[in-house]
Amino acid sequence: MTSKPRVCVAIEPDLVAAATGEAEAPAAERVETHVASCPSCRDDFARYRAIDSAVGALRATAPPPGDADTARERLIARLADLRPRILGYRVFPSSLGPILIARSEHGVALVEYLPREGVSASRLFRMAGVEAREDRGDLERLERELLEYLDGRRRQLNWPLDFRGARSEFERAVLEATAAVPYGAVSSYTGIAGEIGKPSAVRAVAQALRHNPLPIVVPCHRIVGASGDLIGYAGDRLSLKEQLLGLEGVPTQPSHASKIARRALYHYEPNPSREYCLPTCGDIARRPIGLLFSRREQAEARGLVPCTTCHPELHPLPE
Amino acid sequence: MEDTAFDTVVTTHHGEIFRYLRRLSWRLGEADDLSQETFLRAYRAWAGLAPDANVRAWLFTIATNVYRNHVRSERRRYAAHATVRTTRRELELDGPEEEAMAGEMKTLTEAAIRRLPLKQRLAFTLRKLHELDYEAIGQSIECSPESARAHVFQALRKIRTTLNGHVQPLRESTR
Repeated sequence: MTSKPRVCVAIEPDLVAAATGEAEAPAAERVETHVASCPSCRDDFARYRAIDSAVGALRATAPPPGDADTARERLIARLADLRPRILGYRVFPSSLGPILIARSEHGVALVEYLPREGVSASRLFRMAGVEAREDRGDLERLERELLEYLDGRRRQLNWPLDFRGARSEFERAVLEATAAVPYGAVSSYTGIAGEIGKPSAVRAVAQALRHNPLPIVVPCHRIVGASGDLIGYAGDRLSLKEQLLGLEGVPTQPSHASKIARRALYHYEPNPSREYCLPTCGDIARRPIGLLFSRREQAEARGLVPCTTCHPELHPLPE
Repeated sequence: MEDTAFDTVVTTHHGEIFRYLRRLSWRLGEADDLSQETFLRAYRAWAGLAPDANVRAWLFTIATNVYRNHVRSERRRYAAHATVRTTRRELELDGPEEEAMAGEMKTLTEAAIRRLPLKQRLAFTLRKLHELDYEAIGQSIECSPESARAHVFQALRKIRTTLNGHVQPLRESTR
C-alpha cells in the first residue's frame, strides 16, 4: 500500500469532522476544495458520510416503548419506598390494653400493643424514614372499627394496608399469606411456609410474624405451631392470642388453654381435589396443621369441597 | 417539595437515560437495572446538586459511571470472554425490505460501535447518539473536552476501518 500524500494526511482530521458534521465553516471549505481534486480523499469522505448517516438512523431508532415504561414504573416504586413517610398516629384504650394505630397516605402501616413505658417507647419512632405526627381525628374511624372488632361486633377490617414497613420481600409475602387466613380459621407456620412456596422456611416465617407491623389486621394470632400450640405473640403476651382466637370462636383444649382443640375443627391440607376433612379422617389430626376451620361454611367460602372419604357434610362437627 | 422536583427529573430524563444504557448494554434487563441504579444514585445526590446545574449532563455522568462500574465487575466475572458477538436478534433490527440496505449498514455500524474500546464507545455514544457537548462528555468519562473529542474521532476512524470492504461509500447523489 502506498503512503498518502502529506496534504491528505494533514487534512484528514478536518475531513472526518466535515463528513460527520463536526467541522467549523473554514475547515469544511478546505475539505471541499481538497476532495474535489483528490479521488482517494473523496472516497474517504463518502465513507464517513455513510457512517454518519447510519449513525443518524441509529439515533432515530428508539427501543420498544414498553421496555422503558416497565423500567420507569419499577424505578418510581423504588423511589416511593425511599421517601420519608409521614405517618399519622393515634393511641386509644382497648380490652387488650392501649393500642397505637398509624397510617400513611397509602394505608395503615402500624398497629401496636403499646409497651408499658407508653407512647414514647413505640416502634413507630424507631422506623427508618418515618416522620410521625399525632393524628387530629382522621384515625377515629379506624379506632371505632377496631374496637367493634374486639367487641365481636365486626369480623373484618377492610383497611388499605401499607406494607412498606416490611423489611423484605419475603416478609411481605408472609404477611400477605397470613392476611388471607379467614376469620375463625387457623393455620400454622408450616402451613404459611408451604403457602408462599418456601416449605423449609418455617423458622423464618415465625420470625417474620414476630415482626408483624400490623397485628390483628394481619391476623398472625391465627398462626399456631404445627401441633396446635399457641406459641409466641406480641413478645410474651400469649393471653392476647387466646383472647383473639376465643373471640373468633376457635376452640382451645379445655385442660390446656394454650393449645388449639384440633378435634373440634375441620382440617385442610393441600391436595389436588381441594377436599377438607373431619378431624377423624385418617391421621390428619396428628399431622402438621395446614388450615383449620371452625365452621364448614368458612372452608367452602375458600373454594374447598367436602372429603369424599369422611364426608364432613354428612357428619358436621357440633357447633 | 424536593421529591416533586425529582419526580420531574424522572419524567423528563428517564426515557433518554434508559435509551443510552440500552445502547451500551447487551441485555434488556441490564439496562433496566442500570437505569434504576442511576436514578437511585441521582436521588441520593439530588439535595447536594447546585441549583443551576445541567441536570441532563449530570444524569449522563452518573449513568456513565454506573455503566463503567458494571463493566468492571462483569469483566471480572467473564474475564475469559474476550470476543464479542453480535447477532441480529440482539440488535433488534428488522427494517422493511426497501430499507434492507440502509438497515444492513445500520446493523454493521452498531456492531462496529460495540467493538470500540470502552472510552471511545462512551464518548462516541454520548456525542453521536445523544448529542452532548464535549464539556459534558469530558465530565462523564473524566477527561478534558479536547480528549473527549479525540476519543470520538478515534472511534470514527476505527468504525471506518471495521466497515471497510463491507460498505459502499455514500456518494453525493444518494445524500
